[in-house]
Amino acid sequence: MLEIKGLTVDFRVEGRMVRAVDGVSLSIAKGQVMGLVGESGSGKSQVLYALMGLLAENGRAGGQALFQGQDLLTMAPRALDLLRGKRIAMIFQDPMTALNPYQRVGDQLAEVLFHLPKAQAWERAVAMLERVKIPDAAARARRYPHEFSGGMRQRVMIAMALLAEPDLLLADEPTTALDVTIQAQILDLLGELAAETQTAILIVTHDLGVVARLCDRVTVLYGGRVMEEAGAEALFEAPRHPYSQGLLAATPRMEAPLAPRMTTIPGTPRAGAASLPGCPFAPRCALVTDRCRKETPQLIEGIACREVTR
Amino acid sequence: MISFVAKRLWSGLWTLAALITLTFFVMRLVPGGPFSKNRKISPEVQANIEAAFHLDEPVWRQFLRYLGGLVQGDLGPSLRFRDYSVNDLIGSGLPYSLTLGFWAILVAAALGISLGMAGALRRNGPVDWATGAFGVMGIAVPIFILGPLAQLYFSLHLGLLPVSGWNDGIRSLILPVLILALPNVAYISRLTRSSLIESLREPHIRTARAKGIGPWRVLRAHALNGALLPVVAYLGPATAGLITGSILIETIFALPGVGRHFVDAALNRDYPLVMGITLLYGGFLILFNILTDITRAWMDPRLRHG
Repeated sequence: MLEIKGLTVDFRVEGRMVRAVDGVSLSIAKGQVMGLVGESGSGKSQVLYALMGLLAENGRAGGQALFQGQDLLTMAPRALDLLRGKRIAMIFQDPMTALNPYQRVGDQLAEVLFHLPKAQAWERAVAMLERVKIPDAAARARRYPHEFSGGMRQRVMIAMALLAEPDLLLADEPTTALDVTIQAQILDLLGELAAETQTAILIVTHDLGVVARLCDRVTVLYGGRVMEEAGAEALFEAPRHPYSQGLLAATPRMEAPLAPRMTTIPGTPRAGAASLPGCPFAPRCALVTDRCRKETPQLIEGIACREVTR
Repeated sequence: MISFVAKRLWSGLWTLAALITLTFFVMRLVPGGPFSKNRKISPEVQANIEAAFHLDEPVWRQFLRYLGGLVQGDLGPSLRFRDYSVNDLIGSGLPYSLTLGFWAILVAAALGISLGMAGALRRNGPVDWATGAFGVMGIAVPIFILGPLAQLYFSLHLGLLPVSGWNDGIRSLILPVLILALPNVAYISRLTRSSLIESLREPHIRTARAKGIGPWRVLRAHALNGALLPVVAYLGPATAGLITGSILIETIFALPGVGRHFVDAALNRDYPLVMGITLLYGGFLILFNILTDITRAWMDPRLRHG
């Protein structure tokens, strides 16, 4: 369905190219849900923007991203428009600014189905709003985004992405803005959809709870590079990469006794990580050797760490 | 929406009332009067003239008298142009100023918005550079330089258009309209350009592009509305300014509009004419501000409950 090989994203900043994503590879099968986790600035959202041809003006994507055999990265904008919003849809992160403030919510939704007659598109938009649990959807569709709460706007975003029944759904932190009960409902809805219509989902999140509830597989990103790629259950049971271990250890658990302090990974991500040689996690890693600082470890059998595979 | 319009109209009326009151009294505070001594007249004659125009009455009484005339649509007599009322003067000049200003703002908006859009969509391309240079020139070079230059070249040198006056129908309008529009074309194109660039960067544009509706539809249905809000805000007051006449244009092209009264009336202390002109400009300004507010509220639903 989707096969990403060696995806890179560079941004031109003050005349220099700065690498934000460095050689990300992953593949998703029909109906599969892949989680892309990592902390802020690890380049996870940029992966999605690159696939949709929506990088900022100063951004460049390299590598390959095959969707049903076609390379999304080299496609002409016109050809990409035949896929975007139809076969591939995206849920954006910030629901407060991602909707057009000047248009009725129903019109914005119906626009996705612009090839259909207007009344029919509107009808389906309202039906989808009902499906994402917007109360009184028929009347609500005639309202503007500023008349919706943050959680409702995010559900509108989700409805917009689901409306075209895409084969591939890219979701950028889709539930971060929602309260926990709605979060669970939306995640279940996404899961249902994946199972029902065989939609593949690539979901970007920093919330391991989301991964646990929804994902089949997980790709762990750090400093623009893939650290580990594993089945969701395997990752939770036995994380292999030192960063994945730290990430899981830093997640509070219900069954564990309450520690006086929360566990954290010491240090902060290095700036411009993906541009530098060596493992991006080296400055914060407990197992670090001199070789880690000089040579970038390759992803072999789902893990990019020599110290663990040795 | 109806209550929104009613509210704006009501507050506009009060603004106009405040304007009338303030202008009336401030004008009386300025030293000198319409008949103060640039010519030797005997004190008796002076007193007679002042009595004839009720200038010997207390100011509050003159004010009430003025308001009394105003509600009947009478702006009073001109003190400088004998035998003419202010109604006559404005009535004879306004059609010219309205015609000139109407075409000028139309040209300015059409040209300014299209050039600005072209610049924003092909940033740093040839059109953008050309309109940029043209914009700086249009703002920097004053009308009283451009006007005579245009007359010299197009009228005297090429002989294409009349030099001045209002006797050649549409042909006598072309130069004054273009010159009056030019600084506004420049300003509007700059404003449109920067505002469209900003609007295209908004996150909801990314959402629209993700729908696969193509760049033109993204522009038309999503980027343009927000980009034109500041342009509309500028156009309102600018229209009021243009249709009430420009003293420079009317002087250069010898057009019989109302613009020339703006300065003359104040210098001559022609009280009723100053009041009339102020009322005219203020009224149009308030009216076009209300129209601007309504247009903007129509374009942006968030402004409707203000």
